[in-house]
Amino acid sequence: MKNRLRELRAERNWSQADLASQLGVSRQSVNAVETGRFDPSLPLAFRLAKVFGLAIESIFYE
Amino acid sequence: MSFCRKMTPLQQRTMRLMGVAMLLTVVTNFSTPGLANPLVDLFPALGRIVTPHASVPVAMLMAAISVLPIVMVAWIAWRYLSAEPDEFVRALVMRALLWAFAVTMVGNAVTAVLMNVYHLAFPLTVLDADLFFIGGGVAFRVLQWSYR
Repeated sequence: MKNRLRELRAERNWSQADLASQLGVSRQSVNAVETGRFDPSLPLAFRLAKVFGLAIESIFYE
Repeated sequence: MSFCRKMTPLQQRTMRLMGVAMLLTVVTNFSTPGLANPLVDLFPALGRIVTPHASVPVAMLMAAISVLPIVMVAWIAWRYLSAEPDEFVRALVMRALLWAFAVTMVGNAVTAVLMNVYHLAFPLTVLDADLFFIGGGVAFRVLQWSYR
């Protein structure tokens, strides 16, 4: 599954650590999701959507 | 919340409990009489109990005691995995545990063959524990490094 995390993070000028602290996860988690090596669970995907103020389908795509 | 440099209170508690489990492994190891055992040093009578002439109930009790560290490690892992809020770290820990099991089984198989070939007694229980803890720790670090 692909995602727009890096792009969305860059738009807001957030580091991986910034996003991680907002999500309550480790920086490695953000890195793993961002690089597509780890698919987040639905609760984490919802948290990501909430942090960015977007719908899940506008962050993740196939 | 970097898992690498600073551990969360939950992770610190888990590491401390793992240390206790490692100590318990040494203390409850009755598989090799020649091996140093602090519990036998404290209570020399135990050394006289663990002999080939021990009664069946005593032998079964000693065998049951040696299971304690394994049960404790399983409990620590379960407790940690159910409390860890970071699902990615949970996945890494699960994979590290699987590697630890694999390394332990390989070490056990190789040692068992060598013991059989050379007719040597070896403290397998302690070896298993060492392999499990070291294998798990190294596997976790390697997995974590791969996602740095």
